[in-house]
Amino acid sequence: MRVVSVSGAWGSGKTSLICELTARLHTIGNSAAVIVNEQGDAVYDQTFIQAHELQVRTIRGG
Amino acid sequence: MGCSLASSLVDLKKELKRNHNPDFLFIEPSEMVVTQELRDVTAMGLRDIHYDIGPFITLVDGPLFDFLWSERRTLLLGQVKDADLVAVSRADAIEAGELIKVRQALDRYCSNLITLSVRSGDGLAEVVKRVCGEA
Repeated sequence: MRVVSVSGAWGSGKTSLICELTARLHTIGNSAAVIVNEQGDAVYDQTFIQAHELQVRTIRGG
Repeated sequence: MGCSLASSLVDLKKELKRNHNPDFLFIEPSEMVVTQELRDVTAMGLRDIHYDIGPFITLVDGPLFDFLWSERRTLLLGQVKDADLVAVSRADAIEAGELIKVRQALDRYCSNLITLSVRSGDGLAEVVKRVCGEA
């Protein structure tokens, strides 16, 4: 497991980038998980989560 | 990042590693966390479980740069200085002249600065390389 962090201001595109990366990694056979703060840029879409077998956990205040 | 928060993050990492062991675990912290804090917290947990760390990527919102630079410079630099890769995000939404201004402001604080647009695909290949440890 490799831990990768994506920081930045609200709205800077953290969630979009992580979704894009997980989708690309999934196509080459890699699994991914996300720990997101409760005020994440955008909610991770359930359809996307299921399609990419993504594990998502929320951390309060983090 | 407080102690209880750091502890929660470590617990989540352990749970994910033990129950799912994903190839990649992405952490998306709140906008107020600086990179060194994140590095410290990310290293916590290595006593119990093994994982690789990095890269630490910081996104600098291109269209919001003037505001960030004038009002939140300390926070912005705290996120930029210790990052492995800094990406000016939403780069397709700003003029070339603005981009040069952002580069000039940040160049002295980071050695790896790229432009990124998830929408157009600009910079994504570089990020993927870094994440996969190929760069």
